[in-house]
Amino acid sequence: MAKKWGQRVRNWMANKMDLPQDVMMDLPRITMIGQIHIYVENHRGLLAFTDKELRLMLKKGQLLIKGKSFVIKAILPEEILLEGKIDQVIYINDNAGGTK
Amino acid sequence: MKNQWIEFLYGKVTVKVSGKGLERFINILTRNGHHIWHVKRHGTETVTFKMRVQDAMKIRRFARKSGCRISFLQRSGAPFLLRRLLKNSGFMLGAAAFLFIIFILSNMIWGIEIKGAKPATEYQIRKELDKMGVKIGKVQFLVENVEGIQRHLTDNVNALTWVGVELKGTTYHLQVVEKNEPKKPEQLSPQNLIAKKKAIIVKMFVETGQKVVDLNDHVEKGQLLVSGVYGQEDNPELTAAKGEVWGETWYKSHVELPLVTNFKVYNGKEKQKYSLLIGNFQIPVWGFGKNEFKNYETEQNVYKIHFLKWNLPISYIHKTIREQEEYQRSYTHKEAELNALELAKKQIKSQLDEDAMIKDEKILHKTIRNGKVILDIHFKIIENIAIGQPISKETPE
Repeated sequence: MAKKWGQRVRNWMANKMDLPQDVMMDLPRITMIGQIHIYVENHRGLLAFTDKELRLMLKKGQLLIKGKSFVIKAILPEEILLEGKIDQVIYINDNAGGTK
Repeated sequence: MKNQWIEFLYGKVTVKVSGKGLERFINILTRNGHHIWHVKRHGTETVTFKMRVQDAMKIRRFARKSGCRISFLQRSGAPFLLRRLLKNSGFMLGAAAFLFIIFILSNMIWGIEIKGAKPATEYQIRKELDKMGVKIGKVQFLVENVEGIQRHLTDNVNALTWVGVELKGTTYHLQVVEKNEPKKPEQLSPQNLIAKKKAIIVKMFVETGQKVVDLNDHVEKGQLLVSGVYGQEDNPELTAAKGEVWGETWYKSHVELPLVTNFKVYNGKEKQKYSLLIGNFQIPVWGFGKNEFKNYETEQNVYKIHFLKWNLPISYIHKTIREQEEYQRSYTHKEAELNALELAKKQIKSQLDEDAMIKDEKILHKTIRNGKVILDIHFKIIENIAIGQPISKETPE
């Protein structure tokens, strides 16, 4: 119950104080440049990587990126830059992350 | 992606990892602060990526834990490039030595050509050049510059009137004008000797011709002294009158000499600066720091550096900075008068022939005004007053 309360307080603060949601709530920030680049901040680690698929761990749930000829251009503990031809970006959530 | 150039400098290595749990392995690496990039999948159990060389050795223990096999494929970047360069340094050394030798040879003196000199003078000039260090095989910017050579030669070789020194490529061309050593041929046309100025004759020495005036005679300017006409009046013979007529002449001279004069003199302290000029940019090579002289004069010699036949945009500059000191010369009235007199004598002598002499001087007027000694001096000079005047045959005098 306490976790939920904390979540609600953060949500409220983010709304009222006009702060970016990703900072307040540990959500991933995803930047895409057309189909060729995708840049994910705030991930929690690599789960699977092939040249057609990249699966990232998030704080809540997972992010699945599908496409062709993937190459990880750079990877840092919380950031990743992927290059290739991106077809789909899918959130997989067992328990919804980032919903209000 | 991080700055590629920094990675290039540090050196990077391509790593191949195979086994199960590759993603976990990559996670471990990134969480331990190792930069990896360009991760590529090859098949189901192999991945390649690039990382820094320093980090590459440390990943073995992570690999051991996670049960992946790693191997290093390709190394690139500055350290490896450097190592290869060092291994082939013979080539580099050869190329550098070649350039250096060409460069030195282009800046050497390869020839000294002397034109317009008699063999004796030429020998003298060559000896003098040798003394200065201008020899075949010397490096150009270690010898004096062209003006210096020119000055040195005209000062030290007596037989020279003028010498033009020119540096063309690697050869010095010397154009020599010798003094006219042989005397002028005697003037054989009939002439009289006349006085060139007002004088009293004190001594006469007549070689040929008819004496017209006598000792202690007062002569005016242009007066006939020795006639070139002799013989009977109705049948005169003409000859070139020759001889010397010494007369006492008078000159007035006016000199002013300040009592106090300020001079700038070098006090012997100097500072040498060497630099390279590349385009418009000067790079000091030796002699740093500001000079602590208050008053100074700078002498600057610029030597162009050649490569084969071209002038490089690089020059070698040698600066000499000499300290100057203000020096005040002050005379007492007595000293000033004496010096003014000397000055007047020098002035007079420069106007006269070499064999003229000062018999007597008399100060006519002396004033000291505005810190200056002003003298009017009367000189008695004994000099040769005879000059030739040709006689024309049509109108014999």
